[in-house]
Amino acid sequence: MSATTGPLEGIRVLDFTHVLAGPFATRMMGDMGADVVKVMSATRAGLAGGVDHPYHAMWNRNKRVLQLDLSRTEAREIARELALKADLVIDNFSVGVLDRWGLGYEAVSPEHPGVVYLGMSGMGVTGPWSKYVTYAPTVHALAGLTYLTGVAGRNDIGIGFSYNDHMAGLHGVVAALSAITARRRTGRGQQIDMSQFEVGVSFSGPALLDWFANGVAAEPVGNAHAWESWTPHGVYRCAGEDQWCAIAVVSDEQWRSLCALIGAGDWLDDASLSATEGRRLRREEIDARVSEWTLGQDRYEVMRRCQAAGVPAGVVQTGVDLTQHDPQLAHTEMFFEFDDVHPTIGRLTVDRQPLRFERTPSTVYHRAEVFGESNESVARDWLGLSSAEVSRLESEGVME
Amino acid sequence: MTTDVAADAVGDGAGAGALAGVRVLDLTDDRAIYAGKLLGDLGADVLRVEPAGGDPLRERSPRLADGASLWHAYFGSSRRVVRTDDAAVIARLAAGAEIVLDCGRLLDADGLHAEQPGLVIVDVSSFGPTGPWRDYLAPGLVAEALGGVAATSGDSSTPPLQLHGDQYAFVGGVYAAIGALAALRHARETGEGQVVRLSLHEALASVLEHVLMWAWYHDRLPFAEGPVLPRQGSLHWSGAYVVMQAVGGSIMITPTPDFSKQAAWLVEEGRGLELLDERFMDPANVAELVDLTMATLREWVAEQEVEPFFHEAQARHHPYGWVMTTPEVAGNPQLEAREWWTRYPVGGGEVPGPGAPYHFSESVWAVSEGGDAVVLDGGDALDAVGWGE
Repeated sequence: MSATTGPLEGIRVLDFTHVLAGPFATRMMGDMGADVVKVMSATRAGLAGGVDHPYHAMWNRNKRVLQLDLSRTEAREIARELALKADLVIDNFSVGVLDRWGLGYEAVSPEHPGVVYLGMSGMGVTGPWSKYVTYAPTVHALAGLTYLTGVAGRNDIGIGFSYNDHMAGLHGVVAALSAITARRRTGRGQQIDMSQFEVGVSFSGPALLDWFANGVAAEPVGNAHAWESWTPHGVYRCAGEDQWCAIAVVSDEQWRSLCALIGAGDWLDDASLSATEGRRLRREEIDARVSEWTLGQDRYEVMRRCQAAGVPAGVVQTGVDLTQHDPQLAHTEMFFEFDDVHPTIGRLTVDRQPLRFERTPSTVYHRAEVFGESNESVARDWLGLSSAEVSRLESEGVME
Repeated sequence: MTTDVAADAVGDGAGAGALAGVRVLDLTDDRAIYAGKLLGDLGADVLRVEPAGGDPLRERSPRLADGASLWHAYFGSSRRVVRTDDAAVIARLAAGAEIVLDCGRLLDADGLHAEQPGLVIVDVSSFGPTGPWRDYLAPGLVAEALGGVAATSGDSSTPPLQLHGDQYAFVGGVYAAIGALAALRHARETGEGQVVRLSLHEALASVLEHVLMWAWYHDRLPFAEGPVLPRQGSLHWSGAYVVMQAVGGSIMITPTPDFSKQAAWLVEEGRGLELLDERFMDPANVAELVDLTMATLREWVAEQEVEPFFHEAQARHHPYGWVMTTPEVAGNPQLEAREWWTRYPVGGGEVPGPGAPYHFSESVWAVSEGGDAVVLDGGDALDAVGWGE
């Protein structure tokens, strides 16, 4: 892997993460130029964690893979040497796994006081649920996000993708970079206990304050705003099968523009609809008429006409829309293909990380690696091992 | 390992936030106000510049009976506030900052950076500064629709759904905070600041898990029937996670990561003997195994009392998740045991709310009181806010 150019160039990250939350954190750091070494074993790679699966490839670009069979003493000794060279050690194992291998913060920090450890467990290292196991759908349920994301009378819909995994990963990056910032001032690293559950609960902040202060228990609201009376504020069916466009009127001026656009002059003359609260009281009537207007039109045309009139509107875009039909993402070159073809998956596409650093841009993207590609380079760069030594470790199954 | 340690490092910093000493000028709106919270809760000195007439985000509901905004109390925590519309005053304040968080109030971010090359400016917009949609209006619902969030939530009986509770604001804010901290790290290493631009549209499109994978690699996924996975409620793309109805509530059920362990529990309960059929040892039959397991689970779960069942599952290391309401989350014993809740100043009092999303062994995380807004109407603005040194 060649040198990178991002704002984190020079930062070394030792990555013991798997599935999504942790790998998304380290992918973000790799995208920003950190040297991320992902420790993996060919003997414990699971379905969606296997290096030949597109899911793995999505979240593990810009990392070098080092094979280590951590069930072996010599592999754990090598991992410890790596930790002693790292700025950040990150894991999302269950609580205590790194400690059992002698790789935890207490074992490494006396010799390397500058190291930062970020543990991204499901529930945090303390508490009666600390041993509970989670994936993003688990966290969504426990954090109240599943209950609230839906329509009235339903509590079984929830978020249709692993939102909390991404967001836990990004919050992990905030935590890691903050600890690295503190280290510059104090000279010392530290240990961070991040609970993916607590991250998820944070996303209901205003609803929780409303409960504690006012005793109001939040309920699912569909596409109405959770707390504001904004109307219309919905997703409306357009021409074609399962085609939709969102329209969100958040000001009286936008309301007047919408009325003019859809030919609702009677509403313009109706004083009871001139303010938001009055419109909320007639939401069904308004939604029905807006739907009537959108129904026969192409969804992108609805958006274009609304936006031209100063009314916020946006097509409900699928993954195909984002990657093939979205002119804004095409303009910003959000997506492109790796030149380097993946040995087993084939041609891979990149979704560029969205932070555009003008002086230190994330211009270097390397595809996710397969086993064996970087054993030698990592061992050389981090530990100064020779090719012959790496060959021995591979042949003896230590690098397995 | 990089050094990343200042020559004048000052000991363990006990009692200080991780970002103590970092000065942040906050010019954001709802798209990135959460960034200021993240940085301020970690100890940065965040100075929010409201319009002279007051911040419209202070009008956001939910509110207290006296009108004070709980939305603002949460998203706007841990920062001091000044009020001005004067661009020259804002520029003067920027001279005392290391980081400026902006959503378009700076008329010339590049010009400001040229004057202060060490400054980090994070500019968050809906679509970025150029492109065909750059001037489109995109409040949360519209942003989540265009960004791919809504298409994936809901089911065949509902329209596509936004996420509850202004999630776009969390996405924009956390990315903005990362941009600020990464650029700050570079600036402190090299003396070189920079402008960092974030399109909320791109940010939302980056957190969709399987959605882009489906679009690009569906022909390599054995269970994908096309490039777009239809909305299917809580049913995960793998088919192996779904919310089921139990007695007294709902629960997210999954047989992952170990189907054999799940099968063993079912058999122990007198269910699902057919899951032990030898044909399920063949990976080619995994889809049938998933379907049969989920159907067996659904019948069984419907007879279970949700709370003890959830704890029994977790005791067996099955990652089930009890679907909790907001009041149930507020009473969660794990959060209570970790003394997680903190207090947010609002309306002259305090209200409990979410605590730290991460816990540092050395550095303090705290929601701090920002005090009353200061109107800047004369004198040196930097002196007025204590950034004159």
